[in-house]
Parts: sequence; structure tokens; C-alpha cells
Amino acid sequence: MTSVIELGPHQLALEEPMYFRVKLEGDRVAGLDVQPGQVHRGMEHLVMRRNLYQNITLLERLCSLCSNSHPSTFCSAIEEVAGVAIPERAEYLRAVADEIKRIASHLFCCAVQANLIGQTALFRRAMEVREIMQRSKEAIYGNRMDLAANCIGGVRYDLTPDAAMYLARQMEAMKAPLDELYLQFQNNPAIMARTAGVGVLPRLEAIECAVVGPVARACGIDYDVRKKSPYGAYDRLEFSTSLQQAGDVRARNLVRLAEARQSVSLIEQCLAGLVPGPLCADLLPEIPAGEAVAKSEAPRGELVYYLRTDGTDFPLRLKWRVPSYMNWDALKVMLHGEPVANIPLIVNSIDPCIACTDR
Amino acid sequence: MQDQVKETPAEPVRLFRINTGSCNGCDVELAVTAAVDEFDVEQLGCRYTEEPHEADILLITGPLTVRARNEALRLYAEAPETKVTVAVGVCPVSGGVFRDSYAVDGPVQRYLPVDLNVPGCPPRPQALLAGIAQARDLWRARSKGVDAVFAAPPLAKPADEPAQQFPIRGRMSFDPKACVDCRMCRHVCAAGAIHFDIKGDKGDRHLRSQSPGSPEGVRLTLWHNSCVFCGLCSHYCPTGALSVTGDWHLAHRGGQTFRFSEQGEVPYTPCSGCGSPLIAVAPELLHAAFRRPTPEIEHIKTLCPACRQQLSIGAVRR
Repeated sequence: MTSVIELGPHQLALEEPMYFRVKLEGDRVAGLDVQPGQVHRGMEHLVMRRNLYQNITLLERLCSLCSNSHPSTFCSAIEEVAGVAIPERAEYLRAVADEIKRIASHLFCCAVQANLIGQTALFRRAMEVREIMQRSKEAIYGNRMDLAANCIGGVRYDLTPDAAMYLARQMEAMKAPLDELYLQFQNNPAIMARTAGVGVLPRLEAIECAVVGPVARACGIDYDVRKKSPYGAYDRLEFSTSLQQAGDVRARNLVRLAEARQSVSLIEQCLAGLVPGPLCADLLPEIPAGEAVAKSEAPRGELVYYLRTDGTDFPLRLKWRVPSYMNWDALKVMLHGEPVANIPLIVNSIDPCIACTDR
Repeated sequence: MQDQVKETPAEPVRLFRINTGSCNGCDVELAVTAAVDEFDVEQLGCRYTEEPHEADILLITGPLTVRARNEALRLYAEAPETKVTVAVGVCPVSGGVFRDSYAVDGPVQRYLPVDLNVPGCPPRPQALLAGIAQARDLWRARSKGVDAVFAAPPLAKPADEPAQQFPIRGRMSFDPKACVDCRMCRHVCAAGAIHFDIKGDKGDRHLRSQSPGSPEGVRLTLWHNSCVFCGLCSHYCPTGALSVTGDWHLAHRGGQTFRFSEQGEVPYTPCSGCGSPLIAVAPELLHAAFRRPTPEIEHIKTLCPACRQQLSIGAVRR
């Protein structure tokens, strides 16, 4: 018996409006039609009507969960065009901002999934742990979501010795809770029952869909931009790519939690390596005509920016490819043959960023 | 108001969220007010509902995209008549950074009345709670048939020590004495929150009748309902005329929407050479440029560009 149902943000437990038309065979998913566009704000049009400075702030609001990755990658592209090398201290400070956002983003994703499988206590626990990050962001950057850390040529915040010590204490406070959450997602039988073997994306299909980020690394694909083409401070930082092989919901969460733990170590390394020096190469560098591609590892995976300038303050073209674009295409594979009840969990397991993708 | 609350402890006030195409910042922070004890809306006697027809308070986020409009308006219509509508973040009020896009159909008050604005980008949970508390009081008054003369409840100052040590990015403040009218702030403002106009100029009819032809000064208006609190204006301001304050107590009634701004006027002074109006050079700029200005510089600063050229090269270059 074939039927078609429509699911919206309230059924899918998403923070953002996304609509699915799902074809069912009995109570199993047979086909999927994603209906995007609710969060389409005409960003590619808007960025061309704003100058390069305005775009730093505009792009930070492309999506609040990966809000630092957008302006930092955009600024890298401008710096590439302008031939500006950012100071070493700024490289470390950009990495700190990126990693702080990564931890908070991954924890939010895991928390939402815990809620979906009825683990309310674990959901609240993960959100409480995330609050340590939220408080840190607000204390250091002045806002809990949008850090306003970047400017063309470097960063516009500094870590005073006091702030660095505060951040180091907060990182210390993250370690035990992150380890505890990892063990929960790894071994708790109730969680395993709902997440292991669910929403499987086989490695070959993962390659075919060109998925990126934790979704790819949960299928054993060893791809992390920070390792494959290191940018900023990442060539001086010690870390390994977190990998899992199973390609299911559980594997994706284990990758995320392992990465969050690794981000704590990355931030500690940045604090240790923070050399004194200027924060910004040049307050108002000249941006000549040119084009550049910049990429980075956002919390959801590889983020690619293309920028073309014509010597004026306005970009001639600015285009970006966000990780969720490929990842949500792979939902068709993950959801195939799954019961309806698993749809919200599997959708959330790719951590879809609709604001980024609809833009 | 407080006494009435104690008399009727009964039903929680129900909150319903409508995302009209936001960047998810406000939504994630609203999720915090459902998930984290410290910020839980339960402490205000509220709870979230998934049913629009149960909604006492509507929390609207996002700039109202074209695609999201019909669904948002449908949900709004489904909520009971007595509902209180709250715009969360600056997007529903002005479009924020997304204004002027073909894909954005806001601001939401084009389609529905907004009772309360809670500015922020996104507002911190403390600000969300303060706004929700006001909305709750408004709803209680409204469901008793009184519409609302109410004072904003006194709010606790942020208690957490590090946040005071490193202040949060709140409302912008403008110091006209330091402004040199370079307008870099307007140039870098993604949200178009900063507006300059010349007081006494053609556009300002009221003032023109008082002083025809002679502009009195340059006026900066910064609209807090469009500002996204990024602080980029302050970062690029060469004299520190714009600065970020830690003030996040910004919730206000819908009727105040367009009055909620920061304004300051930089007066023209006559050039000491020819008398034509000029904006005086602020001491902050002189300090930035020369550290310790010489008497000669102090003299030159009172001259208009033409008189300065006359003085230094003996003629006006065109």
C-alpha cells in the first residue's frame, strides 16, 4: 500500500522550517521529496548589494549555528584577493572562535537527537553542558551566537591574559562532561537500541552523494579540510580526524562528540601557542580586482567560498557551497526502508542547516 | 499585577513559536528557554505548546520570507483573539541585515499587529525571559479586558561575574562630541541601521522654516530595531564616537518601534577664515592623527578645506 505524507518542522522537531513529502510503502519510507525555500532570504542577491565590510556581518547571519565559519572563510577569500597575510596571533584567534562554535553546534545536534529518542534527561544534560560554551562565548565575544570575531585582515577581538585564563578554565570544565556524553552515546543500551543500525549510509553511497563533515567521517571517509588542506593555524595544531565506520545515526554522533572533545584540545593548543602581535594586518587594505576560492571545515563539513571582485567595495560575485546541501541529498539513502517513526531522528542526525542551504 | 498572579496560579501561559525564515539564532536561544533550568520559561509560569490554537503568546522570529509568509499568517490566524504577539530579535521588526531583498516580505507588522519587540541578534536568554514576562503580563491584562498600562518590570542585572568582566554587546551609544562626520559607520553597517541627515537642510522642512539655507548640524540616527549589535561601526569608527554598551534591557511595546533609536547632533561651526559651516575636528581624531597637536595644527583645525589650502599652498586647488 503506497501513501504520501507531508511532514513539517513541528513533526520533524526542527528549529527551522523544512517540509518533506514522504512516499510510504506500508509504514516504511520509499521515497522522499525535500521542499526547501522557506528560509530563502535572497542572500546571493543581498551580498552583491552590500559592500565587503557589510558582508562580514551579513554572512555571519547566514546561519547562527555555524556563524563564525562564514565570515572567517569570506575574509580568507578577500585576503587571498588582496594578497594580505593575516598575523599569526589572528590565525590562532580565528581557530579559537571556530572551535568554540564547533563544540556548541555539535552539542546542540546531539541534544536534539537525545530528545527525539525520549532521553529527556540526557537532552537536558547536553544542553547544560552546552551552556558552558554559551557562557564562554558571551563572556569573550559579547554574544552567545554571533561572535563578531572577524574583520578583513585578521580578527577584531583579543584574548587578554584574564580572558585566556577564563577560557582555559571553561575548557577544563568541558572535558569530563564531554567524555561522559561520549560514553552515553557509545554504550547506553537504550540509546544504542534507537541509534545503532538506524539511518545507515553505506560508504559507497556516501562517496556518490559527496557528503562531507561528520556525516562523511561516520562512513569512514577520511576527509577534514583542516587536515587535507590546512588553513590558518591548523598546520601547527595536533589533532587526528575522528572516524567511524558504521555510517549510522550512532556513528555520526560519536564522530561529533569525539570532535567536540578534540576541539577542546585544539583551543588549549591555541591558547598555549598564542604569540603576541597585532590582531589585524591592515585596518583598511585595498581590495583589487580578482577572484579567490577559500574553504574551511565548518561544524557540518566543508564550506567553500568563491569571491570575485572588481576593485570596488562591492563584490562582483559571491557564491558559496554549504555542507548541508550534499548531506541532505543523502537523506534519501538513509531514510529508505526506515519506519516513519525514525524520520525525525535520521533527519536531525545529519544536523541539517536549513538557513545555510536555503539562504 | 503581582497580587493577581498569586490569586490565580492555575493554568500556565502557553507560548507558540513561528519561524518566518530566521537564521536560527533566535530559535536556538528560544530552545534554551525550554531546555536549560536556569532560563526555563516555567519560572515565569509559561510553557511551550505545539498547537497554534492553544497559543496565548506568539513568538515570531525571522524577517518573514516570501515562502514562509502564508504558513506564518495561517498559524497567526489560528491562535485565539486574545493572543499577544512578540517579535523576537530585530528581523521581524525591520528585516535586520536581510532587509531590501526580493525574498523578504517583512517587516511582519505589514501583515499583523506586533505587541512587543525584543531586540537582539539574537537576544540573550535573560532578555528573552524579560520580554516573555512582559508579554505574559500583557496577555493577563488583555484576557481580563484591560489593555495594558504596564510598566516594564524591574529586571535583575546579569549576575555572572565573567560577563561583567567582559561586557556583552548590547545597545549602541553615540557621542556626537567625538564624531567627525566621516560616515564610516554607515558604510560598514550591514543592517542599514545608521542614517545621517543634515539638520536645517532641504529635507527637514520644519527646521528649514526656522533657518532657511543655513544648515545647523549633522544628525546621526541609529535605529535599535534594525541594529544587529555586531559592533562593526564601533570597530571602524576612528574616534570612538560609537561605542557598544552592555545594555540588553531593550524590550519595548510595538507602538514605540520607530521611536526606539539613538540620536545625536554634530553642530556646524563657522570656519575661522571665511565663515562657511564646517564640522569641527574632534580632539579624538587629532589625537589619533598627531598624538600631540601643535598650535599650528590647532589653528588649522578651525579652517575649512578651502581656507586650509589657501594657508598652506597660497591658493585654492580645484
